[in-house]
Amino acid sequence: MRYKILSVDDSKTVRIIIKKAFKNYDCDILEASNGVEGLALANKEPPDVILLDVTMPVMDGVEMLTKLKAEPALKAIPVIMLTAEGGKDNVLKIAKIGVRDYIVKPFKEDILVQKVGRVIDLKPITDAPAKGKSIFDPAKILVVEDKPAIVAQIQEGLKHTPWQVHGVTTTGEAIDYCGANNVDLILITLSLPEDAAFTLFRILRTSLKTKYTPIFGLAVKTDSVAQQQAQQLGFTGIATKPLDIPDLEAKISRAMNLDTSERYFRTEKDLFIMRLPEICGPSTVHEVTTYLKNKVSEAVDSGINRAVFDLHEVKRLDMALIKLLLGAMQTCRDVALSYTLVGNPAVVAECRGYEDTRTWQFHETMEEARQSFIKVAAPSSAAPVAS
Amino acid sequence: MPAITEIPDTLFESTITRAVQEVFSTMLSEPATYQPQSSASMEDALSIEHPQVVGTVGFIGALNGLLYLYLDVAFAEKCAGSLLGVSREEMAELGDEAVNDAIGELTNMTVGTFKNQLSDRGFPCRLTIPSILRGSHFRIEPISSATRRIYRFDIAGTILTADLLMQPGD
Repeated sequence: MRYKILSVDDSKTVRIIIKKAFKNYDCDILEASNGVEGLALANKEPPDVILLDVTMPVMDGVEMLTKLKAEPALKAIPVIMLTAEGGKDNVLKIAKIGVRDYIVKPFKEDILVQKVGRVIDLKPITDAPAKGKSIFDPAKILVVEDKPAIVAQIQEGLKHTPWQVHGVTTTGEAIDYCGANNVDLILITLSLPEDAAFTLFRILRTSLKTKYTPIFGLAVKTDSVAQQQAQQLGFTGIATKPLDIPDLEAKISRAMNLDTSERYFRTEKDLFIMRLPEICGPSTVHEVTTYLKNKVSEAVDSGINRAVFDLHEVKRLDMALIKLLLGAMQTCRDVALSYTLVGNPAVVAECRGYEDTRTWQFHETMEEARQSFIKVAAPSSAAPVAS
Repeated sequence: MPAITEIPDTLFESTITRAVQEVFSTMLSEPATYQPQSSASMEDALSIEHPQVVGTVGFIGALNGLLYLYLDVAFAEKCAGSLLGVSREEMAELGDEAVNDAIGELTNMTVGTFKNQLSDRGFPCRLTIPSILRGSHFRIEPISSATRRIYRFDIAGTILTADLLMQPGD
């Protein structure tokens, strides 16, 4: 989620200069031309920082600042004065009302960016696609759950990941932990007494540190009231108990924007390999589908012209998986990528039962598959290679 | 607090020079060189014959006054374009309103820097909102109780005139 900077100045020139100063940073600039508009916009779309002029018609900056500080929902928003009104006495008077910083015009754009950068974590926009975290990168997950068994279940279920799962039982402990650590994702049980989960959510969302941290609610499957309340409040998602750990893992990966493609795709010498896991639930199918086209393109771009769909771990073939494989085969045909299949006896047997898969032929091992490409110039072998 | 008449002219001169130089170098990366001239030739300089954009901002408090910054239209458009980061053609498309706003803001910053220095010297004042005059063949005349000081600056070969009118304040 992008940071929001609210620029309040009656001069359109200044607002344009500010927009220009932040154009290379990952943030949105909101604009208001006086204090009345500024307050209305701050209420409608609470910004992460406000750049505020003093001398404005309708409502000046001092009045707007005073009103901001009087409103519980807005008083914590950091304000940086950006004004021609300098002078020691003036600065002191306004600083007493409560500002994070004070910039006297004229100003250099880089100073403005520097000062705002002290308040929010400005990130430059790069031309290259943002290199997100992958599933192999460490992450901190906080679980706020008063039942130790649930925390233990989550820790056990995710122990194969590089994620550190920390459990706390109260909202106070959760706030302290978030203050002392950079948490990547938070799971909160919705059954905490006295609606504490929702209170904690609101508190976390007012802190700059956790404003954009994904927060999931943990709820009993049948507790639709709590789930609905969480969704209305703005929880990132819900995980229902009893917990489906693979499903939870997929949700967490998606929420943290992790690149999970390495779970399923790799290149090995001259081969592009798509490996499907033992259990291919809907979230797995969805993940693989998301990455498929790009990964195939990358492989072709790097000079690879052979693909293997590796199903040797797959326990069960269902319609969703068949559709995925058909889609993958079509994608390969679209880019003239030859492909073949590796399977196991169970998968082979299941394929016989479907019209679309009856003629599929499988190799038993990756090496066999690799060799079959070499033999393809000769008349058809036992496991024909498709292209 | 000394009366306005007891404040030496050199203080006003150095303060306004510093303000113009700071604003134009910071916002437009253009150095401004003060051009001392006789008062008679200065008065003549304010007889406007060619199209001008004049930004004005007031200040009120221990001193009351107005500062007018006179720029010819081409220079005003150039400054506005530089401030907004747009080409001459794009500036033409944006029109007079964009130029007015830009010059108003440059004037705001100049007067702000000027009066902030005076505030720190014991003459606290606050700013009014900017306004713009456009035209040619006009002359701004102060009332008899106001003092007038005129300063000229060379900015990249173009003359910027600052006309400072003041009266004692509160």
